[in-house]
Amino acid sequence: MLAVDEVTTKYGALTALHAVSLHVNEGELVALVGPNGAGKTTLLSTVVGLLRPTGGTVRFDGRTINGLDPAALVAAGLALVPERRRIFKDLSVAENLRLAGVTAKAPDRKQRMEQMAELFPALHEKWDLSAGFLSGGQAQQLAVARALMCDPKLLLLDEPCLGLAPTMVDVIFDLLQRLRSQGRTVLVVEQQAQRVLGIADRGYVLRTGTVVAEGAGPELASRADLFETYVGGS
Amino acid sequence: MNTFVQNLIDGLGNGSTYALLAVGVSMLFGVMHLVNFAHGELLTVSAYVIYGLRSKDVSWWITVPMAILGAVALSVAIEFTAFRRVRTASAFTLLLTSFALEILSHAVWRIGVSSKPRRYATPEIAFKTFDLGPYRVEVWDVISIVVAVLCFVGTAIMLRKTLFGLSIRAASEDFDAARLMGVKANRVISGAFAFAGLLAGIAGALYLLRRGQADPRMGAEPLLKAVIAAIIGGLGSLKGAVVGGLALGVAEVYFRSFLPNDLQGLTDAFVFVLIAALFVVRPQGLFNVQTAERV
Amino acid sequence: MISDRRRVALGSLGGNLVLVALVVVGGVVYAAFGSSARDALITDLLINLVIVIGFQIFIGNTGVLSFGHLGIASLAAYVMALLAIPAARKSVLIPNAPWGIPDIEVDPLLATVIGIGVAVVVSALLAAVVARTSGLSATMITLAFLFVVRQVAENWKDLTNGAGNLSSVPRLDGNGWAIVGAVLAVFVAVSFRASKVGRLAVATREDELAAGAMGIDVFSPRFIAFVVSGAVVAVGGILRVQSLGSLGPSQFSFDFTILILAMLVVGGMRTVSGAIVGTAFITIGKEITRFLGDGPHFLGFEWPVVDGLPDLFLAGSLLVVLLLRPSGLLGEYDVGTFVAAQLSRSGRRSSGPAASAIASAIAPDHSDAVLRTNCLGVTFGGFTAVDSVTMSVEPGRIHGLIGPNGAGKTTLINVLTGVVEPTYGTVEIGGRELTGPPHSRARQGISRTFQNLRVFGALSVRENVAVADLVARQHRVDRAGPGVDALLELSGLTAMADRPASTLDYGNQRRLEIARAAALRPDFLLLDEPTSGMSEAESREMVDHVRRIATAVGAGVLVIDHDLGFITSICEHITVLDQGAVLAEGTPDEVQSDPRVIEAYLGTQGA
Repeated sequence: MLAVDEVTTKYGALTALHAVSLHVNEGELVALVGPNGAGKTTLLSTVVGLLRPTGGTVRFDGRTINGLDPAALVAAGLALVPERRRIFKDLSVAENLRLAGVTAKAPDRKQRMEQMAELFPALHEKWDLSAGFLSGGQAQQLAVARALMCDPKLLLLDEPCLGLAPTMVDVIFDLLQRLRSQGRTVLVVEQQAQRVLGIADRGYVLRTGTVVAEGAGPELASRADLFETYVGGS
Repeated sequence: MNTFVQNLIDGLGNGSTYALLAVGVSMLFGVMHLVNFAHGELLTVSAYVIYGLRSKDVSWWITVPMAILGAVALSVAIEFTAFRRVRTASAFTLLLTSFALEILSHAVWRIGVSSKPRRYATPEIAFKTFDLGPYRVEVWDVISIVVAVLCFVGTAIMLRKTLFGLSIRAASEDFDAARLMGVKANRVISGAFAFAGLLAGIAGALYLLRRGQADPRMGAEPLLKAVIAAIIGGLGSLKGAVVGGLALGVAEVYFRSFLPNDLQGLTDAFVFVLIAALFVVRPQGLFNVQTAERV
Repeated sequence: MISDRRRVALGSLGGNLVLVALVVVGGVVYAAFGSSARDALITDLLINLVIVIGFQIFIGNTGVLSFGHLGIASLAAYVMALLAIPAARKSVLIPNAPWGIPDIEVDPLLATVIGIGVAVVVSALLAAVVARTSGLSATMITLAFLFVVRQVAENWKDLTNGAGNLSSVPRLDGNGWAIVGAVLAVFVAVSFRASKVGRLAVATREDELAAGAMGIDVFSPRFIAFVVSGAVVAVGGILRVQSLGSLGPSQFSFDFTILILAMLVVGGMRTVSGAIVGTAFITIGKEITRFLGDGPHFLGFEWPVVDGLPDLFLAGSLLVVLLLRPSGLLGEYDVGTFVAAQLSRSGRRSSGPAASAIASAIAPDHSDAVLRTNCLGVTFGGFTAVDSVTMSVEPGRIHGLIGPNGAGKTTLINVLTGVVEPTYGTVEIGGRELTGPPHSRARQGISRTFQNLRVFGALSVRENVAVADLVARQHRVDRAGPGVDALLELSGLTAMADRPASTLDYGNQRRLEIARAAALRPDFLLLDEPTSGMSEAESREMVDHVRRIATAVGAGVLVIDHDLGFITSICEHITVLDQGAVLAEGTPDEVQSDPRVIEAYLGTQGA
């Protein structure tokens, strides 16, 4: 479904991604892990069109999408839950969701909003409240719900557990598993590497802008050698 | 008491023009951090449209919509040809670009028409008055206030209820996040320019039907007032722009009636000093839209 | 032996004066083939040049846009005119002027000096406000000032004769004074850019945040730049009035300001050469379009009269430059750089003793101050970013701070460096509490690097380090330091010392940032993710590099990194943060084997 082929992305003098390749098949939950600064966020930003790659191609559903506007990619079926959520704090919860359905037809949008109310009862209680008043966990749920409003074929999540209390982290992991059982295709960047690999179909380990390992999720999670680089050792 | 109410009506009448322009200025600042000094040129284009059509005896009923349309078209054209190219540039470049467009517009009218004013006859209604109890009220002031209020209500509804309005609010807060939700950057920005142009066109119609002439540099002064109004209200805040515009209109009238004759001409100077003082006291409060940089 | 800096300054002075001379000669030739109106054109050009260069001193070096300088010029010109106009004329023009002005008559030169003095005072008052703000606020204040001056001039008719103008100002004949003014302006602008304040100002322009972290108070360079620039513009304003012989409120208008800014922006506001080229370009363009607009017989045609053509040219060229080349025709280019390069080719000095030798010779003892945080906490709204952190960094040691993303590392650094105020708790060095904004923290002994590189891109590599060294010489006198050359040598940057920092590759920019921070002679060096974006080989080199630099300046180091491998190989002591609080502390071995640390980093299942 998503095929990233030898993508290189630069920020000024810094080459953040060196010819990275990865793919996501339909219905998979794929985890992308790696230490801070490895280029995970850069990769997601490149996929959704916020950054332009200097080399390589990104294909989605067989179509080359690098250089396309993020808005066009949403229409094509890609949605990102950005790092640090970036919900619209001045808009109400409902308005956040409605805006996220901007590409959908009015009846679809309505129907999806009802789905979100069902899927996230905690949000439904705060429907008309400004999103700025939500707690961290609720805000993260809103960020996910907002992306789901785009009814994406592929959902990308960037560090959904960042800054959340442990109980909320559990909620987010539950949500990931639920999305997976619903047959959604998901690519998630997460810092809690072993935990997320434990529930993923497949995983990639990124380090200083290159893929250093890939494989089935649980199998990667058990490979101690990969995580020595995290905790030092050697 | 008499003059107090009289002044209030006069002031609100003037202020509604400022406020309509200020809302546009503030909205554009919200979506792209631009203080658009070329916004006043929309009045100028409306004025020349009125002059052109009226000199051919076209009915006011057609002339006014055409004048408003002219402002919308110019606003969108300015965005498309100039601001789109400097969208991500510094505030410095954006500001200078808007000034360059302003002078360009002045020069174009001078070359294309004349540097001398072109007059047109104002409709009768523009200066009619009626007596309301002890007050003599100008019909046009009342119309201006009513139209402006309708516009503000319309703007508020647009921002709350329509997807376009939500897009503008979202883009003002976090442009990239809005794009990630499928909001098209070009569409929301040119939409904001079109909407700001519409309000400017309406402000223009209200102002021009009484003014009776078109000249190349006429847009500069009302725009300056509008920018001041937007700054008073806090750039990016549309409510603030309305309040700022009306307050400025009223304040001007009162300054005129209170200040001794010798100091009449200093009305604007007083306003400016006030604004500068405001900046010194709370510079960040006035530009609260700018978010802190992540270190 | 002549220093590099002085050579560049002299080169710039010489080169730019040649540029001015070329412009003047061009004008003289042009005037020789035309009516006497063309003489006035040269005067006009030279005076505009003074004013444009005056604007360049502030705008070019600080990056803050000002519309107010002609207001200052207007005030200065009024003071000069009111003093210098013969009393006999004043009693006719402005008989009711206050303070006995109609009876005063001062020598024009003295009046000019007084006028400039007033300009300096007014500039200082205005600068006291402007230099505290930045960006749009600063610009709007200056714009308001311009309008206020004009309105007062128009309305205070007793004093200014309002729109009736003040005539009979003693006139200057010929272009002599204008040339003197232009030469003087070039001299002041070049000296300012080369001066200590000038370099600090450019540093604040390039990166306000990094400048603060290097101990540079944004206020004073901006303030001084504004005053110097105001004085030069005032000279230009006074010369203009003296060449015209009269003065009115509309002379220093907003339109004139736009003309001046267009000259500056079109030529390139960052260099004096840009100001000269822009002035010449716009003047010539306006002259040509004026000629064409007057309906000339030309090329066998009878051209139509087109009113407003020069304005069209002005707006058009400004717009084209802004849209296509916002840094102006010359960009960063200054003829001085070229001339200096020529000079140095002939007189390149042999390099001194190996700088590393110098470095080790004077490597100072490390200071014995301890950096401590006492129960430090930061909350944003309801969110706790840093939670009662107590830790101490020993002098001369390399201390690591690690933790997963969002653990509060960056917030902690921001508190130490004064970017964020703690909600509770204190920070101290050697028992003294650290307080104040970032620049004062830097002067108290904490210097830092940034996660996302923040070098001063337009400054040369050497200047980047030299700017921090300047601050150290003033505020860190009790500490010895290895000096700029030794730091460059230690960082392997000597060969590229004269290149603009923005042209360096990523790894060199990182090393430059560390060298710059070290030049501040800090007690503690805070390195925020020094290996971010580096390959493993580069990271390993970085370990030795940080050690070398730390020894050379005798500083303790607090290094934040996500890379436990890097941290454990470089640090003697490590603090682990998680959820804003200290999770573990100890030697690398202790920390690595701590199960809580492993869990926080990897999120092992069944947590």
